[in-house]
Amino acid sequence: MSAHARPGGFDTRVQAALADPLLKLAIDRTTGTARTKRAAAVAAWPGFAAGRDLGRDIKDHVIDNLGHYLVEFERNALASGAKIHWARTGQEACDIVVAICRDAGARTVTRAKSMLGEEIGLPHALEVAGIERVETDLAEHIIQLAGDPPSHIVWPALHKTREQVAALFQSHHHDPGALASVEAMVASARRELRGRFLAADVGISGANFLIADTGAVCTVTNEGNAELTTTPPRVHIVTAGIEKLIPSTAHAMAMLRLLVRSATGAELTQYTTFHCGPKRPGDLDGPGEFHIVLVDGGRTRMLAEGLAEMLRCIRCSACLNHCVVYRQIGGHAYGGTYPGPMGSVLTPMLDGLAQSQDLPRACTLNGQCQEVCPVAIPLPTLLRGWRDRLWRDGLEPAPARLGLGLWRFLVLRPALYRLASGALIRMMPAFARGGWIARMPMAGGWTRHRDLPRPPSRTFIAQYRSRKPLP
Amino acid sequence: MSEARSTILTAIRTTLARRRGEQPAADEAAIAAEAKHLRARADATRPDRVSGRPDEAFLARLVSPAIAATAERVATLRDFPVAVRRYLGAHSLAASVAVQSHPDLLALDWSGIETHERIGVDEPVAVGLALGGIAETGTLIFHSSPTSPTLFAFLPVHHIVAVESGRIWSWLEDYADAFAGCPQPRNVNLVTGPSGTTDIEGTLVRGAHGPGWLHVVLVGGATSKPDLDARGATRAGA
Repeated sequence: MSAHARPGGFDTRVQAALADPLLKLAIDRTTGTARTKRAAAVAAWPGFAAGRDLGRDIKDHVIDNLGHYLVEFERNALASGAKIHWARTGQEACDIVVAICRDAGARTVTRAKSMLGEEIGLPHALEVAGIERVETDLAEHIIQLAGDPPSHIVWPALHKTREQVAALFQSHHHDPGALASVEAMVASARRELRGRFLAADVGISGANFLIADTGAVCTVTNEGNAELTTTPPRVHIVTAGIEKLIPSTAHAMAMLRLLVRSATGAELTQYTTFHCGPKRPGDLDGPGEFHIVLVDGGRTRMLAEGLAEMLRCIRCSACLNHCVVYRQIGGHAYGGTYPGPMGSVLTPMLDGLAQSQDLPRACTLNGQCQEVCPVAIPLPTLLRGWRDRLWRDGLEPAPARLGLGLWRFLVLRPALYRLASGALIRMMPAFARGGWIARMPMAGGWTRHRDLPRPPSRTFIAQYRSRKPLP
Repeated sequence: MSEARSTILTAIRTTLARRRGEQPAADEAAIAAEAKHLRARADATRPDRVSGRPDEAFLARLVSPAIAATAERVATLRDFPVAVRRYLGAHSLAASVAVQSHPDLLALDWSGIETHERIGVDEPVAVGLALGGIAETGTLIFHSSPTSPTLFAFLPVHHIVAVESGRIWSWLEDYADAFAGCPQPRNVNLVTGPSGTTDIEGTLVRGAHGPGWLHVVLVGGATSKPDLDARGATRAGA
């Protein structure tokens, strides 16, 4: 079960999101910038399409040999002095992390943003264990102050406008200053967190890539908070999904080119770090203990149950930024850890299809997500797969089954179908004002938020038949 | 631990065996050959920015608005303290710097500047020596070691870094290949410009938790035409 399963049904959450004018503004500001910058970065790289094919093939190669690469990674990480832990579930992973913290006598942990950490419910587990958690990524810091779950996988505080952030910092920071600009807000967060970095007992990070042939863990950030989280404390704990493996550093470079352009539109993040084992003899800084928790959390089931392509995902968020649904409703409405198209594929696997059955339905299947995906995940196909399962498992509600049954009955009888569609098309203009229909019986679900176009006067088949054949 | 490990690995192997059907599992050599082939394909896809000398492409990339570092070139490492003094003056900074405890840096003549090897949490200026750079992305490479502590690249407000012009690799993979098979340092830090964040409304702000200013001093390899050395340090986009 997701750590962030939110109350109320999907419909209720969507209604609330659509009714919030500030949310729409906040989503538009960040995703608009992200789309523009990604487009520019892709346009400036003529080899993008070939690079994308390569990214897909590298990930598929790893998935096809996942056992091999896991064992190779484990061997090399152990040789570097790292301690390796395996967790079948999120709960097991949290238990391991909490136990390491307790063994270290940790009172305070700093944490660099990790979506896996959110997925397994690590913030909650640390809270239950009475360990103070300091989020160091600026966006995570904002939502920690606000008590919100993340609403985006790259910009977790995307749902907050700058005005809302200023108000939060004003009431929570010790020395907020004027906060008249975004620069002033960033400076205030820097002052607030500076001392916390050095005072923490344990630092926890995720992993963007696990490098099999060196046993290193790769993280990417722009702020520098990951390294300040992982270097000063006595203990560094990494939590990573088992799908994060990459054969070598050189392969990781090819993946980084895709990841960063697709996420922020930059060519490389400011800080790309490969962490390998604990402090060495003579080192002036670095953790004395280095733990890596390898988490299954449903990934072996994805491999077994037809979702292997989803294991390619490198969490870049391009599919969220380009999704017409995400851009209307934001991340919280999805109800799981991962929102947007990738979330609608993952959440039914992580939280159960019955609980998250609305997600695969809340998709226009316009295919934008697949088009921008840097590892070519066929997201619409995977979402259709979930819809298929919904039908086969009898999870479609009765009205939908009835409607589809009726449509099936008609479509198998073309003469009757033509008669029915002809009648509908003659009836609809009666409700039209100009070129649009604002209200029509049985279509309230559609017309409440938008108009229907007035249909042409004759059906497609009627128009087709009246055409003269081409010479 | 071992129970979870065997459960996960068994689940993976069972599924992969079913997916393969009649086909036998790939052996280590076949997996390595396929990985090598994938690595080779990267050369055909990478951005074609780097033509000509990598050190020149590196400098141009560093000062581009996307990275917004500043850079200059000096003839030898002995000129580094002069460049540092010039930088301190241009930014009206006190003549006190943390110097990375690398013997090549400690051997330089730092007269006129107070130097110390311990770095403070809000150190105004730190001076360092990078292992090398990557032209494609304007990236500095640091390998952690007793003479290269990690926090030097993250704690200061201004980070001034010397790097040898002969140690600039063209593409990201070239650097990776150069160290393939070598012992991996505890930290490899690839640093591309001063720190920043886009976490508030997607607006880029420089100077988040890491340095707000990054100045690179490329050592040696001067070209016939006077370039960045003559122009001095210019912060692109500022």
